[in-house]
Amino acid sequence: MPSIMPNSSNSSKNKYLKLFYQYFVNHIITLTILTIMICFLIELLRLGPIEILNIFNSLKFDQIQILCSCFLIIFISTIYFMLKPNTIYLVDYACFKPPITCRVPFATFMEHSRLILKNNPKSVEFQMRILERSGLGEETCLPPAIHYIPPNPTMEEARREAELVIFSSMDSLFTKTGLKPKDIDILIVNCSLFSPTPSLSAMVINKYKLRSNIKSFNLSGMGCSAGLISIDLARDLLQVYPNSNAVVVSTEIITPNYYQGKERAMLLPNCLFRMGGAAILLSNKKAEHKRAKYRLIQVVRTHKGGDDKAYRCVYEEEDREGKVGISLQKDLMAIAGEALKSNITTIGPLVLPASEQLLFLLTLIGKKIFNPKWKPYIPDFKQAFEHFCIHAGGRAVIDELQKNLQLSSEHVEASRMTLHRFGNTSSSSLWYELNYIESKGRMKRGDRVWQIAFGSGFKCNSAVWKCNRSIDTPVDGPWEDCIDRYPVHIPEIVKL
Amino acid sequence: MSENKVTLESKLTVVSSRPVKSGKTHKLSGVDHAMGYHTLHLIFYYKNEEKWFGSFELDPLRESLSEVLSIYPTVTGRLAREKEEDGGDWEVRCNDAGVRVIKANVDCTIDEWLSSSAFGFDETQLIAWDDMPHDTSTWSPFRIQILQIYHFNSTIPLDNSVVFTHHRIRTNQINKQFQEGGLAIGLSCSHMLSDLTFASSFLKSWSQTHRHYPISHPPFFNPITPNNINNVPNSSSKPQTIITSSTNNIVTATFKFPSSIIKQCLSKIQNTTCSNATPFDFLSALFWTRVTHLKPSKVHNQNHSLSICRDFRKLVKPSLPIGYFGNALHFSNLSIKVQDMENGQLEDMANLIHKHLKEVTEEEIRSSIESFETRKESTPKCMYGSELTCVYMEEEESASLLYESMFSNSEKPAHVSCRIGNVDSEGLIMVMPSSEGGFARTVIVMLQEEELGKLCNDQEILKLEPTIILAGCLVQH
Repeated sequence: MPSIMPNSSNSSKNKYLKLFYQYFVNHIITLTILTIMICFLIELLRLGPIEILNIFNSLKFDQIQILCSCFLIIFISTIYFMLKPNTIYLVDYACFKPPITCRVPFATFMEHSRLILKNNPKSVEFQMRILERSGLGEETCLPPAIHYIPPNPTMEEARREAELVIFSSMDSLFTKTGLKPKDIDILIVNCSLFSPTPSLSAMVINKYKLRSNIKSFNLSGMGCSAGLISIDLARDLLQVYPNSNAVVVSTEIITPNYYQGKERAMLLPNCLFRMGGAAILLSNKKAEHKRAKYRLIQVVRTHKGGDDKAYRCVYEEEDREGKVGISLQKDLMAIAGEALKSNITTIGPLVLPASEQLLFLLTLIGKKIFNPKWKPYIPDFKQAFEHFCIHAGGRAVIDELQKNLQLSSEHVEASRMTLHRFGNTSSSSLWYELNYIESKGRMKRGDRVWQIAFGSGFKCNSAVWKCNRSIDTPVDGPWEDCIDRYPVHIPEIVKL
Repeated sequence: MSENKVTLESKLTVVSSRPVKSGKTHKLSGVDHAMGYHTLHLIFYYKNEEKWFGSFELDPLRESLSEVLSIYPTVTGRLAREKEEDGGDWEVRCNDAGVRVIKANVDCTIDEWLSSSAFGFDETQLIAWDDMPHDTSTWSPFRIQILQIYHFNSTIPLDNSVVFTHHRIRTNQINKQFQEGGLAIGLSCSHMLSDLTFASSFLKSWSQTHRHYPISHPPFFNPITPNNINNVPNSSSKPQTIITSSTNNIVTATFKFPSSIIKQCLSKIQNTTCSNATPFDFLSALFWTRVTHLKPSKVHNQNHSLSICRDFRKLVKPSLPIGYFGNALHFSNLSIKVQDMENGQLEDMANLIHKHLKEVTEEEIRSSIESFETRKESTPKCMYGSELTCVYMEEEESASLLYESMFSNSEKPAHVSCRIGNVDSEGLIMVMPSSEGGFARTVIVMLQEEELGKLCNDQEILKLEPTIILAGCLVQH
């Protein structure tokens, strides 16, 4: 027993009380069954073996009754196994590692900004202030077309970037999983802002000569949370098609969307969005359960688009000079908070342990009946999950969520470090964060991961995964060469 | 006037592959400050027969440039002035901003460019330089030019889809229409940051990185002089930073002398006056006399003088490595009476130059370095061309520096040329190694247009059968 200091005896008493309560409530079913079995056993022992034999002989079992009971049991189990949803396995995933020639240090970014916006020093000043507080590092990457003065955002360059990112990730995925292109049954590509014809999914099918009966989908315009929407779609499809492989490609193509004007609200994405992409292999094949990394437990999607303010908060439009950009409203954080609350309300009952749910219910009842001034109980999500992947949309988003969910800095470390090393890579950032956790050797069998993404609309989507097998370091991926340098301390303001 | 064969395609910034630790600065020495009036431009021509050059987007050449820039943080930095309290001198802030790269297309084949002495193949067109602005924080002091030498084959029917939009030519369509003719890689910089030796060592390092060889001349950033020389705060006014290009009509011509001829002339000198004469002695003597002929004649008892510029890396103890970042140049003056030059033979002149070069002492060099240090705050003045200047490059070393910058294992540069910006009217002669090797030399002369025209037709020079290329003036044989 550790020695307890007198002045902290109260808090440690509380701690033990809390632990006892949690254990009791979470395992109540087990405890109940255990109690019943013990009572039964005691009763049996009390009766003695001869008495038991007598009772057994008095029960007249008809042959038919026995047969029917057996059939009933078999029938019920068959129905159960048929109606059970297919387990969705995440076999493996690959994140895109940008080439070193695409790196954009702060000094280069600011220099280009000054040269291109030489008539708008206020806008340059604004970009500098954003960059200083952004939480990005010196190794984030922009596509080759943006390194030109002025940038060269042609469609050809955009396609080139798409080919570079998507094909690179797919090749990496094929190597890691041994998947053959002909074995892909479902292909879902999501890229919000670049949607050419033929689609990016057609581009993938063309490059890898995929089967002609492939089920392919291309999701565009759905923002940074589109990655989880694709996972949700893949899950639904894998319920319908047995024994199939689904490949999900999440990316955001920066080239055509680099804002070339001077409106401040629209310059913000230029400072934060960076090149990135990920390819994920999902499967419902039973054989994959040995080598799959994760199992999909839940996907919860919340859409606040019904509220006008939420709808307009991330809006793509033309500025006064006709240049297209994405403008972010000032109430973005508040709306994100609201969307998160909505999502939590739905996901809470599905993932929280019984102890937390009971407490939440009791405080809710108490508030309604006894005293409205009672503080609402914020369930402790750390009980439900070991790891958190919060979309690295920006420093403010991560800070907001850390506060709302009462997470420690270790929980949000993956998100912060991904923002520092790769910037905001939009829908693929969740995968870079997951890879960070794996690369640090923290992912053990049975660990549960919560991925939360926000996106225009305004949407808040989350996915829950359970780790299927412990993942050993070193992990092949984008963090391979730099994981030892992390975590780094990111100052509030980087002096430029 | 020549038609414009060079079209500027695009401008971009290339950064190093590894971030530079923030806060590093490199103070420039007194010699560096003194060279601030000039700019330096090196151009390396390659035939690109093995097609090692792609599009410079994500290809190995671009990657190797990023790699090599990681060990040259001063090349990717920006010029700034120190704070007033520390002296207000120039320094390079290693802020990891990257180096500017200009891509352009040249419409002719490399063989044409390097063999013709016809008007229109003026190298100035290949150099995209803009002068140092008042605000140097966004100005890249080093610029690399990638010049794709294409030849537009007019016999191939033009595809309607080829569109020339404001000098930006769509590369993928071009590759079908044009027949490739080679590549020129240019490196330009302010002379305040680098001399010829450093610039060539940088390019050699790049070529070695590209071929995955270890670098033979890594950069060396320590100052020449210890920093405890007291800078007497000068009461002179703040020097102007904007250097306007000189309005002199200075043009360049390149004379390539074959090895056999030089060997012959050299043996003649070695048998008569100077037994250790080098090709430099002979050629500098030759050009000095011929250029002096073209100038307005002087009265007897006056002197003809020649300023010789040489690299002192090996002449000081401890010697500076080739990769020393900055200027390690020593200017010395050689005078000869007018009548001595008129009456003397070429052999005597060569001997004179040879003796002059041998006699330079370390004390002389140290004292000139110190005098430059004390003059740091004054406005840099013209170092090349206020009198006829001759640049001496150490023989074997420079040949290996320049002509071993190979990007593919078997292709040496077809030609390396060097120009200095803002040379004054008296002119500049540079004796450089040649692609042929051995005793062959390339002499680059920068003079006023009419004088250079006359020089190109000078019988004494033409006797030695030079090939005159890249002439900015009319050459008639």
